Amino acid sequence: MTPGVMPFVRLKLRLLANGLRGRPARIALFVAGVVLAGLFAIIGYAIFAIPGVADRPGAAAILLPLGGAGIVLGWLFLPLVFFGVDESLDPARFALLPLRRGTLIRGLFVAALVGLPALATLAATAGMVQSAAQLGGVGAAVGELVGVLAGLLLCVAVSRAVTSAFATGLRSRRSRDLAAIVLAMFAAAIGPLQLLALSSAQRADWRAVGTVAEVVGWTPLGAPYGIGLEIASGRWWAASLKLLIALAAIGGLLRWWSATLENAMIGTVASTTRAAVTDRDPVALLVLPRLPRNRFGALVSREVRYWWRETRRRASLITFTMVGLFLPISMTISDGSPGAMVIFVGALAALGLANQFGFDGSAYAANVTVGVPGRVEIGSRAAAHAIYTLPLLVAVSIVVGALAGQPGRIPSTFGLLIAAYGVGLGLVLPVSVRTAYAFPASSNPFAMSSGAGPAKGLIAFGVLLGAIVISLPLQIVALLLAPVWLWIGLPVGVAYGTAAYLIGSGIAADLVDRRAPELLAAVTPNR
Amino acid sequence: MTVPEQRQGERVPAMSLRGLVKNFDTKLAVSHLSLDVPAGSFYGILGPNGAGKTTTLSMAVGLLRPDAGQAFLLGYDVWADPAAAKARLGVLPDGVRLFDRLTGPELLAYHGLLRGMDQATVDQRARELLEVLELGAGNRTLVVDYSAGMKKKVGLACALLHAPRLLVLDEPFEAVDPVSAALIRDILQRYVAGGGTVVFSSHVMEVVERLCDHVAILSDGVLRLQGPLADVRGDRSLEEVFVQVVGGRVATGSELAWL
Repeated sequence: MTPGVMPFVRLKLRLLANGLRGRPARIALFVAGVVLAGLFAIIGYAIFAIPGVADRPGAAAILLPLGGAGIVLGWLFLPLVFFGVDESLDPARFALLPLRRGTLIRGLFVAALVGLPALATLAATAGMVQSAAQLGGVGAAVGELVGVLAGLLLCVAVSRAVTSAFATGLRSRRSRDLAAIVLAMFAAAIGPLQLLALSSAQRADWRAVGTVAEVVGWTPLGAPYGIGLEIASGRWWAASLKLLIALAAIGGLLRWWSATLENAMIGTVASTTRAAVTDRDPVALLVLPRLPRNRFGALVSREVRYWWRETRRRASLITFTMVGLFLPISMTISDGSPGAMVIFVGALAALGLANQFGFDGSAYAANVTVGVPGRVEIGSRAAAHAIYTLPLLVAVSIVVGALAGQPGRIPSTFGLLIAAYGVGLGLVLPVSVRTAYAFPASSNPFAMSSGAGPAKGLIAFGVLLGAIVISLPLQIVALLLAPVWLWIGLPVGVAYGTAAYLIGSGIAADLVDRRAPELLAAVTPNR
Repeated sequence: MTVPEQRQGERVPAMSLRGLVKNFDTKLAVSHLSLDVPAGSFYGILGPNGAGKTTTLSMAVGLLRPDAGQAFLLGYDVWADPAAAKARLGVLPDGVRLFDRLTGPELLAYHGLLRGMDQATVDQRARELLEVLELGAGNRTLVVDYSAGMKKKVGLACALLHAPRLLVLDEPFEAVDPVSAALIRDILQRYVAGGGTVVFSSHVMEVVERLCDHVAILSDGVLRLQGPLADVRGDRSLEEVFVQVVGGRVATGSELAWL
């Protein structure tokens, strides 16, 4: 007797409900997630319905395949880099049950379709059906509906297959770390690339974009979303071919997923290579050169090593490096002035610490047991982060100044960056203590706890916004006093940033002193 | 290993818990728990899974804030004067609560410097501990790649590094192979003989019966029995006492007949 897919769906819903029961904070996050998903659905629907309402077949031919491809890419990359995948139905937990692989894949696949992201995607792409209906009548609408459903299946299949392959298919920890880095770099490059594409679209003719859309429409990424339009223009053969492409892609992805699932269910094995042996003293091994060999030095050194050795942290560091360098560069190239982007980058740098205690997880117990004073705890963490960030901010200001052809602006740009970084730290540090949350203890470095993953990003977003607003006066001063600013920018920026940091770190240190056990409980998984 | 039991009253208890209460959501995890651990004793806390052992020990060492009650370590109130209490305490927390992306030597150096010890002492003691525990003073494997037994041993080394007066160990023998377990037992017995106090939790009767001079039995968050091993056990085996106190059932043979 083989179970169908319903047990999996019921299990998923039951896990979701149990996760929310009696936890107001989680319910609030879940509601925030629902609101976000609803917004995405409504805005997406509106955008995709516009070409139909405005009766513009040309625009539809560009928007539908490209927009659809964007959504599929989003399903591919967002889980890997920002939100993580919902691991509530971890394949490893089914390893001992007598289930055939086909049954398991079907069940997990359908269960993955149950959830806010899938629902929101379906609602958003339903706008395409309306477009197709208005451009080509009932036949086109039905065709597009089939396409949209196929597209949804494609989205889910792509995200499952790729995360499974990367996260658990690579069996040693080292290669998994490597995969995380490669993906982070790849994904971080997408944002800047989109900006470049946008700025070229502003200048370039629409025919070039139309050609791109035509090509994308024949790849699995865009194929399902073009079916209705092909029917509307009477090209039935093209419509069926595109459907075939989409179905073949889904089938291929499911096969791939099924192949890697075996590894996921067996789990990972530790690498057997013997590490090199050293005869240096333990303290010399831990503490970085030129740091004091005391409590502060030990804390900073541990943090610095963790930023590099821990996958989640390294992924976030690399993502920021890519965004931090490429965003100002592409802005400078496209319109000659980095402007407010500088402040954005400075504030973004501080965001890496938004859940700094969550990175530690239950290991933070070591510091609580010893009773590290909050001032030292917060100060050392900020110092370790600055060791990575400050050189990067210097690089950003040099690159921006050089590209704009105004080397004289480098010090004042750096001043703005430092100010924004300091303000960001001032906000992020208390937030990191108050709103710390646990990452699940999963073998998958991309896993987030089930429930309202996206909503947790909201807090970080709020901090980012706050930091930009607080840094704004400085930006205005910089504009008003442009000639003088070149000279006073650096000292004023440093002073502004330092003041903000001191205030914020003071509050955070106080919070740590009063709430260390609660903080530990918050970052301990499964409590 | 002998501990003079008559002298208990003259000394401050190594650990003294007074009316500890902890609720998780709606579940009462620990209910009005009071117990005294005499200084210089080898104290075993027994209980079935989910009895509240870890919760109790976490509250005792300052990792989990109790809803009510007090905890004193060597006479210092953990929640009112944490610095003084924690300075004399070594803890092996449950699970793998270690900064496991460091190598063994790095982890020990981290704990030593965090405790405010000077560099030379940290280096010397860390090397010695790593050698004795057979972890290798020059081993550059990350702790995350250690086996379960090695993780326990390096955790124990971290707890011992600053020569605390009181050791609190949560399940120190779980997932440890017999050879390592014998080694750990040896080290702990020498530590107690030297005047230290060990409090540890376990659900393995044999270990407790063999090592401890005092035991406490916990179930459903309530302290059922406590005292010197001889008094608790009487003329029965510890296991019999335990099963009777905890209220477990004994298979009669009539159920599960299909097995």
